[in-house]
Amino acid sequence: MKVLELNNVHKVYNTTHVEVHAVNGVDLDFEEGEFAAIVGPSGSGKTTLLNMIGGLDTPSEGKIEVNSTDLSTLKSSAVIDFRMRNIGFVFQSYNLIPVLTAKENVEFIMNLQKWPKKKRDERTMELLKAVGLGERAHSKPSQLSGGQQQRVAVARALASKPKFVLADEPTANLDSKSTETLLDIMEKLNRDENITFIFSTHDARVVKKARRVITLEDGKVVSDETRDK
Amino acid sequence: MKNYKMAWRNLWRNRRRTLITAASVFFAVFFALVMRSLQLGTYDRMYKNIIESYSGYVQVQDEDFWENKIVDNVFEESNELKQLITNDENVEGLIPRFESFALASSGSRSKGVMVMGIDPEKEKLLSDVEEKLVRYRLTEEAINSLKSENLPGYITKNLELFRNNSYASSGRLQLDLGMKEDDIEELMPLFEKHASVNNGYFSKGDKSVLAGDRLSQYLGLERGDTIILLGQGYHGHTAAGKYAIEGIVKIPNPEIDNKIVYLPVSTSQQLYYANNMLTSMVLHLDDTGDDELQATIGRLDKKLDERYRLMDWKEMNGTLVQQLEADNKSGMIMIGILYLVIAFGVFGTVLMMTAERRREFGVLVAIGMQKTRMAAVMVYEMLYIGLIGILAGVGASIPVIIYGYHNPIHFSASLAKAFEEYGFEPVMAFQWIDSYFIYQSLVVAIIVLIAVIYPVVKIRKMKEVNALRA
Repeated sequence: MKVLELNNVHKVYNTTHVEVHAVNGVDLDFEEGEFAAIVGPSGSGKTTLLNMIGGLDTPSEGKIEVNSTDLSTLKSSAVIDFRMRNIGFVFQSYNLIPVLTAKENVEFIMNLQKWPKKKRDERTMELLKAVGLGERAHSKPSQLSGGQQQRVAVARALASKPKFVLADEPTANLDSKSTETLLDIMEKLNRDENITFIFSTHDARVVKKARRVITLEDGKVVSDETRDK
Repeated sequence: MKNYKMAWRNLWRNRRRTLITAASVFFAVFFALVMRSLQLGTYDRMYKNIIESYSGYVQVQDEDFWENKIVDNVFEESNELKQLITNDENVEGLIPRFESFALASSGSRSKGVMVMGIDPEKEKLLSDVEEKLVRYRLTEEAINSLKSENLPGYITKNLELFRNNSYASSGRLQLDLGMKEDDIEELMPLFEKHASVNNGYFSKGDKSVLAGDRLSQYLGLERGDTIILLGQGYHGHTAAGKYAIEGIVKIPNPEIDNKIVYLPVSTSQQLYYANNMLTSMVLHLDDTGDDELQATIGRLDKKLDERYRLMDWKEMNGTLVQQLEADNKSGMIMIGILYLVIAFGVFGTVLMMTAERRREFGVLVAIGMQKTRMAAVMVYEMLYIGLIGILAGVGASIPVIIYGYHNPIHFSASLAKAFEEYGFEPVMAFQWIDSYFIYQSLVVAIIVLIAVIYPVVKIRKMKEVNALRA
């Protein structure tokens, strides 16, 4: 089942003197349960593409349909609401809410969705245990290491059972051991919960784990390789 | 997590900044309340002094008397008139006055004075002149005698500051001299012995007078001395009389204290050849609040014929009211400037809070938090800062104001003289906790709410993708 469809997507930035084509006519489909990496050199358009998929940015041309919904037809508040229910985000620099504990960070989106407390607590603890941080539920982000924070961020992204998770360079700030742990966790959650993961990355370790690798250059897809694992 | 809870936690991310901002609100509220209380309290005291020592709240006069204060512009004290006025629900009684001017002399000195004929008993309802009789006077002689009594050093020092001051109460004397609680019992008999003044009060029909303290000092009068009054009487008579000084009174308003001579009203009528005539009747009212006062005037105005004029205290003390209103405006401008400074301080904090959390705002919107909810969190944060500051400011100002209310600031020496030169009592009083507390707190709350407009607009206009790059 398709969860995401990109048709002839362009993104053009108008700087003072020149037009920059960050994304240039991308056509892509993603099926439910994919574990895909978008790779490419700096400036190839990975993050821009991810931002557009997540509804954080709008294409200059073309159409992006998430779960058969064209995000460009929605109002700003509806896009935010759609994102909350369907898309999980993992950022390069974790971006946890510093005043909340690990548990509160994870249950934040469920809170926004007004889940009942019992259900919320169960899901939160289930995810924290899944990322190996059941014991650190009440720690603030400042009391966690970078790897631990990123694991909490993954748990947060999965909290409300989104259709897919967008992870922008999730391992860029992590050491090898933390990267391995995080990738194993994400791979396990991908298999257990059948949630689609789309990474933008430079990291060879991520590419190695991915079952689909899309390579971008100058905003264009130059290769799209699916591997059997 | 509820918005208010998240906002509360956000506040303490940067504890120092929150405390500094709350402190700036605190100081704004504290100083504004204390300044305002001092200002309003001092005005109230001045109004009360002038009302209770002279004008009363409402007077009935002959229609021409106020513009031309001659004894020809008087009216008859008829029972019919008194009945008509006292029938009003808010009028509890009438205080008759016969007021004019005269040249007063004693020995080689003379001075233009205000002659006030009063009913010795009824006047107690308003100005209570008897309560104002001088009980102690720190004359040169009294101070020298006191010094020979081996007084504590601080009393000896303070005596010099209050040389020639008169006191109608022992409390005020103790306050001026800074008398310690433990010393009062031992010291007061010494003051009774060396500084007390033997004064008496007059009765209806007595041929004696009471003179203001400052006037008596100018004319060199003491009880038992004689004062000669010379003026223009009713219908061209010459008003002249010689009266014994029965007592010296200390009137809080220095301007009046400097020129007042009280006589029993009948004696005053005789002096001016105006038997059974009055220049005014002061209404003793049950409710002296502005609204009821105006309503009473409105009702009486309809009943009384055109020969009579009703005047309220504001009309009679127009100059003072204008002076104090001008002063009030300048005080409000000062408080306004204080608020402006605080507003910039609060705005600075808001600016920093918004700028440093731009990325976080982007993340929150990215993961699904609506901008309106985020703005609500910011509003809560600022409201908390405002509330902490306001509550602390109100809390800290209450004891200061209560203390000040019970212990007005009495100026002494040269500062007191400067006040008196302008015709003001050298006292600054505090007003009791009143509606100004709400107004001042509300103004600060509004400043905080205005400051929060900036982040709210900023959040509304925020582009998530740009915020995430911040």
